[in-house]
Amino acid sequence: MTAVQIRPTVRQAPPVHPRRRARPNLVAGVGAALWLVVVIVPLYYLLSGSLRNRGEYLTGDSLSLPENPTLDNYATVLEGGFGTYLLNNVIVTVGTVALVIALAVPCAYAVARSTSAVVRYGFTLLLMGLAIPAQATIIPVYLLITRLHLYDSLTAIILPTAAFALPVATLVLVNSLRDVPRELYEAQELDGASPLQTLRHLVLPLAKPAVMTVLIYTALTAWNGFLFPLVLTQSTDTRVLTLGLWEFQGQFGANVPGLLAAVTLSVLPIFVVYLIGRRFLLTGLTAGFGK
Amino acid sequence: MRRRFGTRLRAVGAVLAAAALAACGTAGPGAGGGAQEPVVIWALQDDALNKIEQDSINRFGADRAKLETFGNDPYKQKLRVALGSPQAPDVFFNWGGGNLKEYVDAGKVADLTGLLEANPQLKSAFLPSVLDGAKIGGKHYGIPMRGMQPVVLFYNKKVFAEAGAQPPKTWDDLLGLVDTFKAKGVTPIALAGSQAWTELMWAEYVLDRIAGSEVFQNIRDNGPQGWKDPKVVEAMTVLKGLIDKGAFGDNFASVGYDIGGASTLLAQGRAAMHLMGSWEYTNQLSQSPDFVKAGDLGWVAFPSIAGGKGQAGTVVGNATNYYSLTEGSPQLEAAKEFVSTQLTTPEYVKALIDAGDVPAVAGIEEQLKSAPNAEYTTWVYELAKNAPVFQLSWDQDLPADQAEFMLTQLQEFFLGNLTPQAFADSLANRA
Amino acid sequence: MTTVRPSPAYALPAFAFFGIFAALPMVLVVYLSLTAWDGLGTPAFLGLENWSRLLTDAAARESLGRTAVFIVLTWAVQTPVALLMGAWSAGRQRNRAILSALFFIPLLLSTAAIALLWQVLLDPNFGLPQSVTALQSIGFLGDPEIALYTVVFVVSWQYIPFHALLYQGAARNIPVVLYDAALIDGASRWGRFWFVTLPQLRYTVVTSSILMMVGSLTTFDTVLILTNGGPGTATRIAPLYMYDTGFAGFQMGYASTIAVLLLVLGTALSLITMKVTRFRSMQSQQEGQ
Repeated sequence: MTAVQIRPTVRQAPPVHPRRRARPNLVAGVGAALWLVVVIVPLYYLLSGSLRNRGEYLTGDSLSLPENPTLDNYATVLEGGFGTYLLNNVIVTVGTVALVIALAVPCAYAVARSTSAVVRYGFTLLLMGLAIPAQATIIPVYLLITRLHLYDSLTAIILPTAAFALPVATLVLVNSLRDVPRELYEAQELDGASPLQTLRHLVLPLAKPAVMTVLIYTALTAWNGFLFPLVLTQSTDTRVLTLGLWEFQGQFGANVPGLLAAVTLSVLPIFVVYLIGRRFLLTGLTAGFGK
Repeated sequence: MRRRFGTRLRAVGAVLAAAALAACGTAGPGAGGGAQEPVVIWALQDDALNKIEQDSINRFGADRAKLETFGNDPYKQKLRVALGSPQAPDVFFNWGGGNLKEYVDAGKVADLTGLLEANPQLKSAFLPSVLDGAKIGGKHYGIPMRGMQPVVLFYNKKVFAEAGAQPPKTWDDLLGLVDTFKAKGVTPIALAGSQAWTELMWAEYVLDRIAGSEVFQNIRDNGPQGWKDPKVVEAMTVLKGLIDKGAFGDNFASVGYDIGGASTLLAQGRAAMHLMGSWEYTNQLSQSPDFVKAGDLGWVAFPSIAGGKGQAGTVVGNATNYYSLTEGSPQLEAAKEFVSTQLTTPEYVKALIDAGDVPAVAGIEEQLKSAPNAEYTTWVYELAKNAPVFQLSWDQDLPADQAEFMLTQLQEFFLGNLTPQAFADSLANRA
Repeated sequence: MTTVRPSPAYALPAFAFFGIFAALPMVLVVYLSLTAWDGLGTPAFLGLENWSRLLTDAAARESLGRTAVFIVLTWAVQTPVALLMGAWSAGRQRNRAILSALFFIPLLLSTAAIALLWQVLLDPNFGLPQSVTALQSIGFLGDPEIALYTVVFVVSWQYIPFHALLYQGAARNIPVVLYDAALIDGASRWGRFWFVTLPQLRYTVVTSSILMMVGSLTTFDTVLILTNGGPGTATRIAPLYMYDTGFAGFQMGYASTIAVLLLVLGTALSLITMKVTRFRSMQSQQEGQ
């Protein structure tokens, strides 16, 4: 049914094993060096290319350092509507994350604690969503969105993106809530707390790491989404970053350094997050797919 | 009307409407339009053009019409959705031809024949071959609203001079030039083969020169069986001769147009010729200004082919773009007034010319001569004006699904995966 | 004592929302596959015509064949590299930590960014081949014989770090005693990897493989941007064929038919992999019930 292998997220990795000083692992070293080249060369090409002027890009050695580094390309991109795309991306990302958290947290609480058959069947339905590739449903989603007169709005992107992020989000939360000892819930109930109070005072604080994971996972999905924006939006006013990059290709024509600058700028926000909280980001990325 | 926020309210509405959809599968609620509503005009995003369009609306009455613009590629998708729903615009930008025919066949487009008959001076204001680009089944469905875009053979004068060569007048000249430039290590013809529509320009011209315009028009009007015409195989064989000679170099399949590949090859002198729409001039002007300003960019009409049946001077390309009106629009009368009064005003025509366009309006030779880039624009104007037929690009002239299929088959042909016969057969036999 | 449990109402908004925007489309796509819809107006019921067309459509068959090759190749390239990189980066040595931080950078780029970067990089006239002569004769994106491999490479470049991350997490959960026991038995480094690490990672291999295969089955944006299915149809894999049919050819009904096929194949692929590997269902893996 589902591809997801679940381990409780709270269990920690074993303590670092102080390896005996073994002889250096040559094979691994060579492999790592090779992969480093494969990763670094394109990234260097991206960064250095974005700093060249067009003439140098077209005729010069693409691996050398830029002769006359220039930020003009970045200026061109920023004047070319990048701000609008960035803002749209932020709106879509925040909207999707808010919607997913608002729906998934109470849902996960109910799944973890309720005995109702409705909840059980509903959760099974939700888990089926893990196996549905969103790509296969774009045509009906498109039909749905146009019939709801939402076509070419940011809402049109948020709704299906959130819906397809919901299964993983709920699953991650449910697993973390199921790890909460039953006694804690019972203590709350003895105190006469209503389910809503339990949700606020027990569930939310305990599920905080899981909520963070869900938040990052959903945010990345929304931030990097391409298919839904492609099919469901149209005008420059609703264009998100990923589509904007693609459009830049046509808009800038032969200005490849401009395109590279746009790509660099689009990565920058996530790169900053990566620098600040690498561990959080990586955990969020693999949310629900084993730890 | 743009909707961007209000997620919550909309989500509730979404639930209700989705329930309705699931129940009956019909379109959502309609948008009622009162008589005081402005005429909604849809056009492509284009910084220069949009300003001109807005000015024409201001002359018509800023509150009587409203311009909404959309990006290029998905515009057709957007238009299709809108025309299929109650939220249709009153006036919409289009390419004429088979693309428009689909909407005409669906009963979505207003017949403008009566309007043109009643205003002879409006009808005669446009070049007839261009006005006919939006004529379907003997009726007019569109009014030209911008410049003409014939496909032109551009060449690099400097590279030609270095090789002591003259631009081609005939197909044999062209074949000779291929040898000349190959010997000099220059790619004879730049081709952005990763985008099939650039290859299409070659097929269109060669078929036209060899068989005349009837063969394609038969395909358009009577269906894919028309590809079985032996002239198609003949033309594609001639084209294959050019490809097999190495005219396009050995990596054309990965050269792009959007990313500027082919244009840059020409400007840098790494390629000698480039067949492209007339917009290539302004494109080069912005991307490689030194190349154009040095006077190195040359242009000629597509060469003739000895023994071919095609009328000399026929051009292919985008005749122009048209404004068409939505049938059943509550603003139909106002929309008619807009298109019949605003597209031929001196201000509008002048603005187009100043932006580098060559409007499809009769008698503007003098005006062109006094505008920038006069040498080029006058030449394009004469080329289009004297053309007995202005064949619309096939991908615009065929229904979308046929066009899509044709383009992929054409790429296979250019790669050598399909013989001329196999190309014609696959198009003719498509279900 | 009565236990106060949350009412099902807590879960209903999520279920309803998912139902409308994810489950309903799944049902609708089956319905649409039985209709003719050109995007104008309303879908018209057609019966099984699209399905019989699919059976005789050579282009669809070819695109599915390409998809099969693509799935196998992306799996075969990614799995060993990701596995080794994951196991390697699970070590807590400082140099590994630093290098891993670099290795995982492709994870940060969107598919659109990656596809555009490689498209520019591989341009035969102005890209990397301009500087590296050895690359000039290879038509990475222009040679129909090679283009699909290029797509496999780019997709692998994008996703290997993700799978390595899965393996890294799993490898760090392997009890150290197992390695100690192997050391006492005199196992070599290779032996420890082969007899301890690999068996311990078997569930992760399954998880990662399923994600890879379903991911490759539905890969779409990379090809759309990088090659748009070209040259010719050399890289037009099934999801792109569906997109082209639906949103360029406006045959939404037929495109839905291809979509249903992808949906069925994706589910089948997951199920079969789990069956063959005797991968226990998710429920039985859960703890702390």
